[in-house]
Parts: sequence; C-alpha cells; structure tokens
Amino acid sequence: MLLEVRHLSIAYGDAPAVWDATLQVAAGEIVSVIGPNGAGKSTLVNAIAGLHGARSGELRLDGVDLNAVAPHLVCRQGIALVPEGRRLFTRMSVEENLEMGCYRREARRARQDTLDRVYRLFPILRERRRQLAGSLSGGQQQMVAIGRGLMAQPRLLLLDEPSLGLAPTIVEQMFGIIRAIHAEGVAILLVEQNVPQALDIADRAYVLEEGRVVADGPPSILRQQSRIQQAYLGVRDGDDVNR
Amino acid sequence: MPSLTLLGQALVSGVLAGGIYGLLALGLSLSWGLLRLVNLAHFALALLGAYLTYQLGTALHLSPWLAAAVIVPAFFLLGCGLHAVFAYFRVTEFTSLLVTFGLTVILESLIQWFWTADYRRYETPYATASLRVGPLFIPTLEMLACLTAAVLALATWAWLRFSYVGKALRASAEDPAMAAAFGVNHRRQAFLLSGVSAAYAGVAGAFIALISTLAPAQIWAWVGVVFAVVIIGGLANPIGALLAGLLIGVSESLTMAVVTPAWAPLVSFSVLIVLLIARPGRV
Amino acid sequence: MSGDDRRVAIALTIVGVALAALGTVGLPAFYESFLYIIFSWIALATSWALLSGYAGYFSFGHGAFFGAGMYTTATLTTRFNVPFLWTLLAAGVLAAALGAGIGAVVFRVKRLRGELFGLLTLAITFVLGTIVLNTRIDGGPGVFLSAVPLPRLLASPTGTLYLLGLALALATVGAAYAIGRSRLGFGLFAIHDDEDVAEVEGVPTFRYKLVAFALSAGIAGVAGGIHAMYVGYVTVGETFSITVPLYVVLMSVLGGARHWLGPAVGATLIASSLYAFTGGQQAVLGRAAVALVLVLVILILPEGVVPAILRRRRPSMPAVEPAPALESHDAVAGEPAATAPAAALVAHDVWKAFGGIQALRGVSLQVGPGEIVGLVGPNGSGKTTLINVISGHYQTDRGRIALGEVTLSTRPAHEVAGLGVSRTYQIPRPFVHLSALDNVALAATFGAARCSPGQARAEARRWLEFTGLRRRASALPHELNLHERKFLELARALAGQPRVILLDEVLSGLNPGEIASAIGLIRQIQARGVAILFVEHLLRAVLALSDRLVVLNEGEVIATGSPHEAMRAARVVEVYLGTPHVA
Repeated sequence: MLLEVRHLSIAYGDAPAVWDATLQVAAGEIVSVIGPNGAGKSTLVNAIAGLHGARSGELRLDGVDLNAVAPHLVCRQGIALVPEGRRLFTRMSVEENLEMGCYRREARRARQDTLDRVYRLFPILRERRRQLAGSLSGGQQQMVAIGRGLMAQPRLLLLDEPSLGLAPTIVEQMFGIIRAIHAEGVAILLVEQNVPQALDIADRAYVLEEGRVVADGPPSILRQQSRIQQAYLGVRDGDDVNR
Repeated sequence: MPSLTLLGQALVSGVLAGGIYGLLALGLSLSWGLLRLVNLAHFALALLGAYLTYQLGTALHLSPWLAAAVIVPAFFLLGCGLHAVFAYFRVTEFTSLLVTFGLTVILESLIQWFWTADYRRYETPYATASLRVGPLFIPTLEMLACLTAAVLALATWAWLRFSYVGKALRASAEDPAMAAAFGVNHRRQAFLLSGVSAAYAGVAGAFIALISTLAPAQIWAWVGVVFAVVIIGGLANPIGALLAGLLIGVSESLTMAVVTPAWAPLVSFSVLIVLLIARPGRV
Repeated sequence: MSGDDRRVAIALTIVGVALAALGTVGLPAFYESFLYIIFSWIALATSWALLSGYAGYFSFGHGAFFGAGMYTTATLTTRFNVPFLWTLLAAGVLAAALGAGIGAVVFRVKRLRGELFGLLTLAITFVLGTIVLNTRIDGGPGVFLSAVPLPRLLASPTGTLYLLGLALALATVGAAYAIGRSRLGFGLFAIHDDEDVAEVEGVPTFRYKLVAFALSAGIAGVAGGIHAMYVGYVTVGETFSITVPLYVVLMSVLGGARHWLGPAVGATLIASSLYAFTGGQQAVLGRAAVALVLVLVILILPEGVVPAILRRRRPSMPAVEPAPALESHDAVAGEPAATAPAAALVAHDVWKAFGGIQALRGVSLQVGPGEIVGLVGPNGSGKTTLINVISGHYQTDRGRIALGEVTLSTRPAHEVAGLGVSRTYQIPRPFVHLSALDNVALAATFGAARCSPGQARAEARRWLEFTGLRRRASALPHELNLHERKFLELARALAGQPRVILLDEVLSGLNPGEIASAIGLIRQIQARGVAILFVEHLLRAVLALSDRLVVLNEGEVIATGSPHEAMRAARVVEVYLGTPHVA
C-alpha cells in the first residue's frame, strides 16, 4: 500500500474540518474522493501534501510517517500536489513554473528529460514556455499546474479539483491526460466535484461528507447508492432525480 | 540658462550619484520585495560600513578593497543575525518598519558615540583622480561606484532569473506554501536574502566612505530618496532599482544646475508622493 | 457624565490646578523648562495617537504639522506683527487644514495603508521643509523671535510658556479621553482592527479618519507655535528633522498607542530620561537607550506599557471554556426601537468583473420581508461576490440593487449599512481588540438603529442574550471558540436592526447540535420580518430553511423556485452531477 491514511483529523484553528478519515491508495491506482462543497476534500489533500498539519491520526507513504516530516521535505518522499485553484507562480514564466516542480535535488538531475515528457503531453506549453504563467487561459494554467506536479517525478500525484472553472471540452481533455499519466504508472489521488468523470476514471472512490468518509468502494457500486445523489442534490431517498 | 558644459557636468554627476542611489536601493529592494520586510536600518548599516572602512583604513592602514573584503562577509552574517531576531519574534511587515526605525537610531547613536558628530573624510590617493572626457570631468572613484552598482544589479538580476535559488526566492515570495510543497525551504532562503541584502549595504558603505564626507546624520538624508528609488524601480527588481536611481540622480542634478541646489530634495520626495498615490495595484 | 468620566475629569482638573499653581508660585527656570518640554511632548504624542494610535494609520509626518505651526507663528509675529496668542490660533488652523488636505487625497486611495502611509507622511515632512527653506518663509537663515512680545501671564517668559504648554497638554489628553469614549473614537478603534468591516458595519471611515487627522495636525500646529516662542530661533534643519516624527512614535508605542493616557506616560518617561542625558556623548547614548527600549517594547509588549499594566489588573479569562449550555431562545423580551418599515431587497441585472474574470453576469433576485432565500452553487459561482456587492463592499459594474424604493448600489458601504443591510462573513471577522459586547455595540451604534452609546450597550446585551453569548460579553474574540465567534457575527449582524441580513456560510464548521441551534435562531429572525439571503453549502439545512432557492453557476442564475423544484431542474443536476447519469 503506497498511501495509508488512518483516522486522520484535521482542524483549522479550533474549527474541525476533517474527522477520522481513513483511506488508502495502492501503487499505480487511481482513487477518487468526491463529496459536496465544504466537505473537507481540499483540507484532506493539503494535509497529505504537507501544506497543513493534522491534529491526530496516521499518515504514511510507503511506511514513512508524513506527520513527522517538515512541509518542505514532503515532496522528497515522492508526493506532488496540483492544488485547487492551480496556485501557479503567476509572475514567473511557464517554463520557470515547470522548473520549480523539479526543485528537489533528485528530480533536478532528470530535468531535461522530464521537461521533454511534459511538453510532449502538453504541446501548447512548449509554444508558450516563455510566457508569464499568469497570462494563460484557465485550461492552459491547469496544464502548467499538472506539468509542474509531474516534474517532481512523483510516485503519488494529488489532483485537487482539476476541472474547476474549465469548459466541458477542456475537461474531457484533462481527464484524457490524467489517464495518460496513470498509464505511466503514477498513483493518483483525485479530488473532484465532477462526479461522473471522477467515477469513470477511478479504480476506487471515497465519498467525503461534512468531514467524514461516509462511503467507499468501486465506482460501479457507489453509483447505485442514493447517497451520492443525496450528497449533491439534497433530495431524499426515493425522489426521482432524473429530469 | 547654464552652459552646455555645465549641463553636461550636471548630467555626469547625476548619473554617478544615481549609481550610489541604485547601490543603496539594491539591498532594500531585495529584502522588501522578496521577504516582505521593510528594513529602514539598511541605511544605518551602509553608513556603519562606511565608518568601518574609514576606521580600518586610517587606524589599521588597510586598503579599502581589503577592508571591504572583511566588512562585506561580516555584514552578511549580521544580516542573517538580524533575520534570526525577526523570525524569532515573528515580526510582520509593518512591525518591521518600527523595529528597524528603532535599530536605525541605535546604530546612529553608536556611530556618533564612537566617531563623534565631527565630519570625517577618508583621504585616499584616488580621491582626486578623475577621467577627462572632452570638457567633462568624471571622478574615478564615483565612476567605479557606479560601475559596481551596474555590475551588482546585473549579477543580482541574473541570479534571480537563472539560478535555482533565485527562482526559489521569487516563487517563495509569491506563494511560500506552494514553493514549500515543491521543496523550497523558506527559512533558509530568508536568511540568505537577509545576508545578501546586508552585504550589499556593506559594499555601498565602502564606496560612500571613499566618496563622501561622513557624518552620522547622513543616514536620514538618503531615506526618502532611496525609498523613492525602490518604489519607482519596482520591488525585487534589481535593474529597475539601478535605472530608477539613475533617473532620480539625473533629475536631482539637473534641478540643482538649473534652479537653486536647495530645491533638489524636493524632486525625489515629490516623485515618491505622486507615485504612491497614482500607481495602481500593490507596489 | 458617567462615573468614569467624572473621575477622569476631576483627576485632570486636580493635576492641572496643582501644576498651574506650581508655576505661579515660581519654579527655578530649569524645572519650568523641564516641565514645559514634557507638556509639549505630551501634547505632540497624544495628538499623534488620535489618528495613528486609535485608527492604526501610523503617520511619520507629525513633524510637518509641528513645523507648519512653528513657522506660522514665526512668520506672523515677526513679519506681520500679529499678537502671539492669535498666531497660535492661526497655527492650529493652518496645520489642521494641511492635515485635512493631505487626508482628503490620501484616504481615498485604498492601498495607502500601513507602511505606505508611513512613507508618504515621512516624505511630506521633507517636502514641506524644503519648500519652507527655499521660499521667503525662511529662506535659509532661520527666523528670530526674540524681539516678539510675549503676553505676561506669569512673572517669567518661561512661566507663560509653561502655562500655555500645560493648558495644551491637558486639553489634548482630555480630548483623547473624550474621543476615546465617543462615537468617533469607537469608529476609529474599529477602523484600526478591520477598516473594511468597519465600513460595512456603518462607520463612515473616510470622514472619521479625516477628522482625526485634521485634529491631530491642528494640535501639533499649536504645539509648534508655542515652541517657536520657546526656542526663540527657528531653523528648518531643527524643525523639519526626523526628531519629532520619531519621538512621537516611540512615546506612544511605549506607553500604549490605543490608550488615551498611553502617549502621555510614554512622553513623560522618554522626555525625562532624555533630559537627564543632556549634553555631549551622554545625550547620544541616551538616544540609543531610548531606541533600544522602543525595539524591545515593540517586540515583547506590542500593545505598550499602559495596557500591559491594565491587563494585570483585569481578571483573566480561561483560554478555552467549555461551550456554555445553549440558552433557550425564547422570543427576546421587549420590542427594540422600531426602524424603517420592512422592505424587499431587489437586485436587478447585476454585473461585476474583476480584472479579466466575470464574477457576476446579470444576476437578478428578490428577497421579501420575512422571506428566507437560499443561495447555492458550486465553488466560484459568485455567491460571496454577490453578497459583497449587495453590502456595498464592491461597486457594481452594471445593474441596480435596491431596498424598497431606495437604491443601494450607488452608495458607499457605510450608507448601505445605515439603510438596514447587514451581513456575516464566511470566516468570522470580529474586531479583535474589542470585547464581544463592544463588537455588537458597534453595529448598534452605526447600523440602522443609530443608538446612543448607552442604548447601544443595552441593545448589544440583548442580542448577545439572543444568541446565547450573554456570559461571554466581556471576552475578547480570540478567547471565543468558532461556534461562539460565528454567533457573535450573527449578533453583530442583528444589532443594527437590519431589514435585510446576508448570511455567508454561517453554519460551516459547526457540529449538528450547534447547527440546530443556529437554524432555530434564523427562524426567529425570520419571524421578525427580516429578509434573509442565505449562502450555504450544507444542502440539508438550506433546503429545510429556505422558502425559495436561487442557484448560481459561473456568475449566472440557472434556476430559482421552491427548493425541491430548483434542485431538480435539469440544468442544476447537470451542473452538480455532470450530464445526467443513468444509474
């Protein structure tokens, strides 16, 4: 098991955001985390990436206790984050953003190779490599953010709402790219509002609601559950949700 | 209307003075732009560097270049030490202005205590040397200062632009959490930056000792001008700081030549005021 | 006058009379001088703190106003033979006008806060100095006032100045106290903690800052006028130097810039120690010592000496209290002062863009009195932007927002608040230096209810009771837990007697028991005829409470209607779940 999260609790000051979350990601798997807004999905992902501390619980990558690792050393363990809202370094160029991705010494050596791979995946970024990241469109910025994550040569890639604010056609593209990345053997933890896509792509999924994991399993099973419909639309069991 | 030669000479002095402004602004621009801390004590540090150069030169007969070789690394460490204090007390951008205000007064007082308020002049053989270009005189030392400013500005720009550390500094200044997520150790960067900034103050100090007469109150004479330069040039923009320095130096100098000298300080402060009010977005 | 006011007035009078008597009896010149210097610094530091301490706008330009005053007196007495006392009036008025003029320009610019305001004011001092130096006002050699006749209030010339200085110091300290207790002071303290929220709660921030700045400048001007006579020889170098701006900051910060007596205490301490170090090298070390004290105080006691002493005498609140048993929420006893009749909130075709991002596209909605309208939508759909626009925090690009017949969208936020629109913040933004009671009282003072200070506190207590926070009234926000802070937000929003309340995710972060409690409160608010617009992610709650629902996506309204209808609309399903998924 690559990522093990056990009974993790995370709070902002005294406001609890995540209670007792337990989930796992095996090497090479795609796992989706879905749930309504404010459920705590981003909080969870940020904690795994080291951006935020957990109040209690276990967080292990390949056995290594991440709670004990300093924030700037988490990426050395093989985790890369593509955060919600992209959070690019807007005043730096596309290529500089990508280079920041491989800042850690081990990844820096392979810089040129990884850069080539990223440009193959996102040809349009090669064209715009010297452009300021802040001047790109939403979809292109998302590509830079994903590229930046890949430059770190992670074993586990954390994707937080990659489809947020993107037009439907771009979203299709994005998920195609995620599949391609997965095909190269990278494990992926995907947080998404877009439930159908998130369930289509995943090997397994977790449903997070109000800070708690309320359901998990293979997508085929989850889709049947009215839980999902309830979480998103608030309609009670038995209501007809279609049209 | 003053003669062409006079104007030309004014232009030359303006450029040279601007070089010193740029040199002083460099360190301040870096620390304010990348660390988000306003270090008013930068000027006091520069003056301290000047006095130390003077002292090492007159008491120990160290050549200014040797003195600089001692002072600059020492100042680097001093800068790191200063940042350690800031980090320990979790000083914010605004508190830093007040704390360094206090530090400036302390340093000024210490300088006055050791060296008294008497004017000090570091007499060196190069002091009177100057280049002659047509009818214009270009004092060698000041030209050297200006060149050093240009070289340092370019080197700093290149460092920020091309090196990994430089990129990490820029990324960290914009989004420290994300930079950390990719391995940037913000604390270490901050120490480095503080040290570099103070080292630059030391370099500026060495030149100031060679070029100007020293008096403790000098510190305050620069504050307005250099802040204007930093803001006009753009925070964390080394080339901008240099160019802004030149701009202000020249406009002051020309004002002095065309109108009475006493109006000169008005230029930089007025530009500062106008810019602060008119410039859109965060400085 | 309250008991406190009476006590302070008596204390000031006693001190004043005692010191005046001392002067009349006749002190050795050294002591007269010494005390005059202290009075002068007290006036300068206290006047500085009126804007910079109370409102937090640290000005480094107090020297400019002091200098303006000095030169006004110098010029008027020597060149125009105006009697000295009249020049003091002129000095005050001129300096105040200067302050008002600068403020009128600078306070309009939102970014010019914090260190930029400090730099700007520092620059102004030097500019003014240069102008004075280069024009006929001084021209270089300075101005001699030794020949100017001084009104003989006391036996010696220094005695007269002593009395004038004493009078100014007393007046300034008294003013600081009075302002601290007034609406103006209340507003300034709120501006200090969070100017944007203060504006939204109804404080006319621009006007208040301007008044404080002008007053502060005027007093400095008068102090300057008196001082011109004291030194007898006025030069630009001595007047427009860094000394005055630096020392007033030091003194106020040392003593406690937010307390009316703080600057006076700091001024006494520092001026005394400096006077003890007169002459030669000792003066230099003295300065260094003073600066060291400043640095230490800012680092360790950021609030200053006086508040630190006061805190020791205040019974300390435990850091974390168990959540108090939620008190029963029966209808609040007694009807509060009636304000304007209930009206409907109408937003019509509202557009708002930020840079390149179109946050709101032609949003229209309505909330009637006593109606609860839920506002839902995915992240980034524009819900908070809409609330910010309605409350006046942002201006609309296009479209109109009205409350009944009155247009809101053209007014500044504090007027919108005054007309009866209140809001809460997603992440609570209380005024951190004000107690829970004062937080709520502020809203009562500046909101639609426009209570007098006494009334405001009573109102505040009533609303704290309503939200179950009665026992936490004197606590500071950082001593409250999240649930309490959220309810404080709610109490503050209610205290203004609003006709419309905008609730921004008031339930997030609460546990189920607290949520039930909050829902109960919201129903009671609804029962009083208030129109409620309610942003929330907790769909179960929204659906339970709302009479109608408005669904936003990417800045557009994609559905409205009864909650269940709206949520089942095809477009909404699509947005939340993607293309309708066949199970």
